[in-house]
Amino acid sequence: MTIDRARFDQGLTYEAYKAQMTRNRERLEENEGRVELGKEDVAAFRSLPRPVRVVVLAEDWCGDVIANLPVLGRLARDSGKLDVRIFLRDQNDDIMQRYLNKGQFKSIPVFVFFDEGFRELGHWIERPASVTEIRAKRRKEIFAAHPEFGSPDAPVDALPEEVRVRLQDELAKMREGTTKFANAEVVRELREIATRVAA
Amino acid sequence: MTAAHKVKITYCAECGYEPQTLDLAKALMLEFGARLSSIELIPWEGGTFEVSVDGQLVHSMARNGGFPDSATIQEAVRTRLSG
Repeated sequence: MTIDRARFDQGLTYEAYKAQMTRNRERLEENEGRVELGKEDVAAFRSLPRPVRVVVLAEDWCGDVIANLPVLGRLARDSGKLDVRIFLRDQNDDIMQRYLNKGQFKSIPVFVFFDEGFRELGHWIERPASVTEIRAKRRKEIFAAHPEFGSPDAPVDALPEEVRVRLQDELAKMREGTTKFANAEVVRELREIATRVAA
Repeated sequence: MTAAHKVKITYCAECGYEPQTLDLAKALMLEFGARLSSIELIPWEGGTFEVSVDGQLVHSMARNGGFPDSATIQEAVRTRLSG
């Protein structure tokens, strides 16, 4: 599988991708509105010597896509230096097979950066490890603070409904509370790739 | 008195696992009918897809990987009903 101009042009622009979403467009756009980009971050992308092409693998139902694609969308919009084309994962398995997470999992989103000649410059998969780590830590803390939630590894269906609802609330608050950090980490990692490009 | 047998399916709602959830629920409804006292569908998060029969976890996406074959779940229910 190689990405060339013709294949790249088959992808959806960010706006076209949003237009075909049927489940989570509202959530994605809400996340997009909440992304805070630092001036230095935008400047780092703006100062790229040439526009960079970004191939994205995504699907509407994936929580990590809903969370992280808007960060790329905002960086593209605010910098004017990222030309983004989005491919639906389940219709583009040849691309997916090349960017399996740990060589095994079809994790999305995938962002692949290319130069003008479609030479790959770097790629990014799913979410930052630091985000997975902090959320796992916070999750453990929630369970430790609420013995009624039982074990973090136990199936939730064993919990009484009212306890389950409270657990869901706590997890939602935890995700909310870590969103700013998560977005900043996505920007930091994408900026690292971009900086490598510029070097 | 006949024992009440319950199946619970916990699925990641944000992931869009409704079709797999409904397919499995339908297969159980068609085979077992009123021999199951309830089939509970629990919308959850985090990529979850878990099935328990009378409190015993018979499939976990995190543990077993992927969605269960409905035949496997039906067999687990049959075993429970005959036990």
